[in-house]
Amino acid sequence: MVTLLAPAFFYVALAVAAGTVALHFIVTRQPTSSPLPTVRFVPRGTVRVVTVERPRDLLLLLLRVALVLLIGLAFSQPVLVPERRPVARIVLADVSRAVGSIEEVRDSARSLLGEGDVLIIFDTRARVIRAGAADTAAALVRSGEEGRLTPALVAALRAAGELRAEADSIEIAIVSAFRASQVDGATQAVRALWPGRIRLVPVAAGADTLGVAHGAEVRGPGGDAGAQDGVVLAARLAGLAAADSAVRVMRGAVTAEDSMWAAAGRRTLVRWPVEGAPPGWRERARPDTAGAVVAGGAVVVHPLERRWEPDPAAPAARVVARWVDGEPAAVERVVGEGCIRDVALPVPERGDLVLRPAFGRLVRALAAPCGAVASIGPGLGEDELAALAGEGPLATQEAIARAERVRLPLVPWLLGLALLLALLELWARRGARAGASAGDGGAEPEEAVAPTHGGSGAGAGRSRGVMAGGEAQRA
Amino acid sequence: MTTGKAPEGVTGTAGRPEPAVAAVAPGAAARSVLRVYAPVLDAVRGMGWPARERVRSAVAGPHPSTVRGTSAEFVEYRPYRQGDDPRRIDWKLLARTDRVYTRLSEEHAILSTVVVVDASASMAFPPKTHGKWEFARRLAVALAAVARHRGDPAGLVVVGEDGMRVIPPQTRRTVLEEMMRALEVVPAGSAALAPAAAEAFRLGRRVVLITDFLGDAEALLAVAKRAMASGREVYAVHVVDAGELDPDPRKLLVTDPEAPSVRRPLSLRARREYQRRFGEWRERLAREWRRAGAVYTMVVPGAEPLRRTVRRITEAGGAPAGVATGA
Repeated sequence: MVTLLAPAFFYVALAVAAGTVALHFIVTRQPTSSPLPTVRFVPRGTVRVVTVERPRDLLLLLLRVALVLLIGLAFSQPVLVPERRPVARIVLADVSRAVGSIEEVRDSARSLLGEGDVLIIFDTRARVIRAGAADTAAALVRSGEEGRLTPALVAALRAAGELRAEADSIEIAIVSAFRASQVDGATQAVRALWPGRIRLVPVAAGADTLGVAHGAEVRGPGGDAGAQDGVVLAARLAGLAAADSAVRVMRGAVTAEDSMWAAAGRRTLVRWPVEGAPPGWRERARPDTAGAVVAGGAVVVHPLERRWEPDPAAPAARVVARWVDGEPAAVERVVGEGCIRDVALPVPERGDLVLRPAFGRLVRALAAPCGAVASIGPGLGEDELAALAGEGPLATQEAIARAERVRLPLVPWLLGLALLLALLELWARRGARAGASAGDGGAEPEEAVAPTHGGSGAGAGRSRGVMAGGEAQRA
Repeated sequence: MTTGKAPEGVTGTAGRPEPAVAAVAPGAAARSVLRVYAPVLDAVRGMGWPARERVRSAVAGPHPSTVRGTSAEFVEYRPYRQGDDPRRIDWKLLARTDRVYTRLSEEHAILSTVVVVDASASMAFPPKTHGKWEFARRLAVALAAVARHRGDPAGLVVVGEDGMRVIPPQTRRTVLEEMMRALEVVPAGSAALAPAAAEAFRLGRRVVLITDFLGDAEALLAVAKRAMASGREVYAVHVVDAGELDPDPRKLLVTDPEAPSVRRPLSLRARREYQRRFGEWRERLAREWRRAGAVYTMVVPGAEPLRRTVRRITEAGGAPAGVATGA
């Protein structure tokens, strides 16, 4: 649908065009008198002029009207906007590991999505799906990442600006497990930017894997399980040591067989070398000391030497442990159906760090199955959910920030066509003048009574005027 | 036929040269006007124009005269009265009847014809073609040619803005050429036709008035009545253009060519009223002229061939006077 940004210009053009048409019909000069010897028999009376004109120079009239309308249309800036519908919906589908059943998310999203609606899939990122949103919703896959509502809401606000011209009202629906871990300090502030209510569609949350005692096969630098290694010791103390587990912690060299073992099934291979950096890491230019490291809900406060950092050339990976200043301490990469987790955390050989429960929890977190390092945490409280949902009606399109319009490339074409018509009008006017002068020369003098139009310059048709009564004296 | 002294404003044939032909060599001008009027002369060839009544003239001509003479064309016997010419007594009849009878015979005389042409601005209509004037001058030449063809002297009076130009009735061949030259003028201004008509009535016994009667029509009628009372034949030829009978509906404002300050709007209603008034005026004009004894004929330029128009005029006077003696 084409709408005008500045319709006043078009209205003015319409008025000017109407005036142009009127000038072609209105006689502004008194008709030339014609000699008639028997004028004495014409009755006297009050002069009353009523003119009824036959339009002449229709081509000139049409050119002028079209020229004026085109210029007015060009200045009114036509833009292309889609057809409006009552409600447009933006569905935020949570595919993070916080949701327990992705099928439930699929069904909820598909039931909400309609033609032209927008689907936003979010975990730690938000991806906006415009075309084929319903089909995309039917094929949602759980990502295993953490869920973050803030970027999803920001994406929804931007999508709403683009949907503004398509519907009278816009509704945001969030299909999520609504865990506390998905909300940060900016969530409410971003939520406050949305002028309407938000529909919350809760789905069952996934199981919190953190803290769950998982068995892990921890191998020392020599490949044996009984070595005097801090990690092996900590695993034993934490009760993780178990043979034939889905998690294998390798303190020594890792072979291709180990990688294939992880990729073949839903297994986790943790590469935590005693010496040197794991693959994908490099030496730091200036090794330093970090005071603490965090993995999931486990925090170890200890001055640990930080020697390595992720190699930028290495494939992207998910950070599963961070130093206290935010730098990665361990990352995880998906390999086949499983994953490989690289830990660049040196274990001190001296001291009692490995004996502390905090270190045991750190080992437990780093030895967790794929995608389960961080805790999904508890669900949002009722007050928080109410604040997120908000109150009142749906957001109207006037209340939403205007998105940048699609400017039609029609304007330069309109102006070009107007220029062409102006040239044609000049040509037609010259032709009309030439015709009029030729007609005047060939016509009888008394037939020169045909009035001409003032202002427009266009000739009128032969006047069929009526002048009733009256004797006029020559001025 | 004598012309007498021309009144003031009259230009005789021997007077000042005509502006219309002065710049042209005489021979070339003659050929030029003859080329223009040659179709007119061809159209009226062989036509006659008998007098309406016996002519009171003794000069021999084609029209029956009121004079009973001694010609061979016997009419009747009349008892001798004192004063009759004894040479016309029929002596044989006297011997048989012992009564004195005078032998009467038919005499023929000429009828001097003067054509008066109105050259006022109203005759220059329509403005582009001057149709009324063009027709009027051709008709004048045609009537003069018809009259002169039977031996009648023909003259012309052209009345225009600058007065009148008079060509006295003459029978010589070149009189038509003089008339053609005299008619090479452009109608303009207003003209008083009554004085010109009076001069024409003084010069001729048959006067043709070719005009649109939009000038001094009443004065003209008064002069004509007096002339007709003295035995003049008057032919009133009313020239009306088709554009006057039915004005162009595209005209919104009309003006009098002889009085440009008079301008009147011509609406549809006014147009109908104009046609009604104009028609009534024409009927009244015809009625008054006919009642006075004139032959009134309305002509519309271009409505019919010139020969038919001339025939309508010449035959409108009724049966030729020469058929019945009408003693």
